Amino acid sequence: MSDSTIQHHEESRDVTFRVHRFNPQVDSKPYFDDYTIKLEKGITVLRALNYIKEHVDPTLTFRAFCQAGICGSCAMRINNMSKLACTTQVWDELDKAREPGVIKIEPLRNLPHIKDLVVEMDPLVGKMKKYSNWVDSKMPESNWGKKEFLVSEEEFLTYDKATDCILCASCVSECTILRAHKEYVSPAVLLKSYRMNADSRDGIHDQRLAGLVQDHGVWDCTHCYRCQETCVKNIPIMDAIHGIREDAIERRGTKDTSGARHAEAFMDDIEKKGRLVEATLPIRTNGLAWTLKNLLPMAVKMIIKRRTPPPPPLVKASKGIQSLRKELKEMASHVAKDHEKKSGE
Amino acid sequence: MKRYAYYQSCINEAMTREVDRSIDLWQHDLGIELVKLHESACCGGSNLDYVSPKQFALVNARNIALAEKQGLDLIVSCNTCLMTIRTAKKKLDESPALRAEVNEILREEGLEYRGTSDVRHLLWVLIDDVGLDVIRKKVKNPLSKLRIAPFYGCHILRPSSVLGKDNPLEPTSLDMLLDALGARSIPYEHKNRCCGFHTLLVAEEESLNVAAEALKEAMDEKADFIVTPCPLCHTVLDGYQSKALRHNGLKGSIPVLHLSEVVGLALGYSERQLGIKRHIVTA
Ligand code: SF4
Ligand code: SF4
Ligand code: FES
Repeated sequence: MSDSTIQHHEESRDVTFRVHRFNPQVDSKPYFDDYTIKLEKGITVLRALNYIKEHVDPTLTFRAFCQAGICGSCAMRINNMSKLACTTQVWDELDKAREPGVIKIEPLRNLPHIKDLVVEMDPLVGKMKKYSNWVDSKMPESNWGKKEFLVSEEEFLTYDKATDCILCASCVSECTILRAHKEYVSPAVLLKSYRMNADSRDGIHDQRLAGLVQDHGVWDCTHCYRCQETCVKNIPIMDAIHGIREDAIERRGTKDTSGARHAEAFMDDIEKKGRLVEATLPIRTNGLAWTLKNLLPMAVKMIIKRRTPPPPPLVKASKGIQSLRKELKEMASHVAKDHEKKSGE
Repeated sequence: MKRYAYYQSCINEAMTREVDRSIDLWQHDLGIELVKLHESACCGGSNLDYVSPKQFALVNARNIALAEKQGLDLIVSCNTCLMTIRTAKKKLDESPALRAEVNEILREEGLEYRGTSDVRHLLWVLIDDVGLDVIRKKVKNPLSKLRIAPFYGCHILRPSSVLGKDNPLEPTSLDMLLDALGARSIPYEHKNRCCGFHTLLVAEEESLNVAAEALKEAMDEKADFIVTPCPLCHTVLDGYQSKALRHNGLKGSIPVLHLSEVVGLALGYSERQLGIKRHIVTA
């Protein structure tokens, strides 16, 4: 029998919680405290932390409320991944522990740290305000409370999953681009923005979209899918991000943002050659001046190493390009019909 | 000899030609044959799906149908192509209406998307079909002196609902292959993180910060090389390396190898044969 099988069949055992500690009033830098306690199988990480607070160390500080995966307040990093302490089983984490029997507990990342496992949520709330993450009702105020304002079931299905978000900030904590730049809009905010923009009762769709396409907005996402993989409610966050991008290209075209121009270049190249024309991609995305300023030194190195992409006339179209072009044209007519149908509804 | 349809990524054709060159060198040594799909088209590189979801489905249904016509699985050597084509496959497999619409168009070219061919990364083929024991036996030049930092890249892991081969948070496949090649892979946090490629032209500063963090960790851990199964990760970590480090006030350098090159090195091919000299950071 393997160690993990033995472990799995054990009903109780000693478990060490290696907990990140920091009290800015007395500590100059963060450190870890180990708490080893005997636990029964079936215990959640939150119950273990509560036990430690009640019986071992009353100074340990963390947030929790509902204890049922609903309020989102107990999100923390458990064994290097952000999740809810109240829905995470200690026994499952023992299987994932890098050091046998030791579970590492840290605060969420990408948000300012307050004390022990508690982080500041204000930056996230601030972004939700900045991007108007609420329905700004189309209904005149005089009608409020007098008339129902219904949405169809079909419409609701488009943002049903997004409404599951409990704002726990696990996705925010794991976001690659937020880690690289704190101004980045954040996955949870994009998810909410998508949900609000898809709601037919909302009246500020275009205004919200205009904000989302600016610097540090929807185009800065690097498609790493960490947010989606971490979401405690299994919400397909990237579908929302892609939904906003699709909407932005459809309503605003590709002129105002490099992200949209970059994406559109793929479509153009596939239509023309069936292949991406890498050499001109930076120019089509950001213009000639940007490209010369930012990429010239690298292009020189690339030329020396003979790894520059071929210039456009030398990019051979893929074999069968005639058929592909015909097919894309035919699909374009299907798409146009879809749009007509949608706008006629 | 096991045969596969090989999807040629645009990046490999244009900028990372050493990937295909090195695969060509050793494929038969490992009992596999990759048949190039010259008629395939750019997968859309994780962009086309929101520019035009239906064109995205059509282009990639066609890519897969070309492999199906030959009764072969479709093999890629770029993470983003893998994720993109598998995403299209999932959409097509889950929607009979979309499949019918696409097939009506593809019929004129004598193609049909049936969903019979799997879409897989070369790394998976090496592990699952060739087998680590066979690879271990073929190694002529064990890389035992090297400390290698495996850099998986995102799109071979996430979204796991589309990829599903490895644990997206604690991946092991590349480590297992490196072990079979005789190399020591070092544990480090960035192995499952992002290289920043997809925002290089849109949010350059952010991308450079992302890349610099990964490079720094690998250098701090005293790795001799970074190895990646993705030519896009390679482009950032190698081509943009000095810019990323400079931008973040960091010094030093670390060579970055393609998966296909480490396999080639272990099988006894030279750096020159494998095209390693083409890299920006000298190995
Ligand atoms: S996919 Fe985008 S939003 Fe999600 S974690 Fe990565 S960068 Fe952040
Ligand atoms: S999207 Fe998921 S992970 Fe992010 S805040 Fe909402 S529930 Fe938490
Ligand atoms: S305590 Fe409410 S979600 Fe965990």
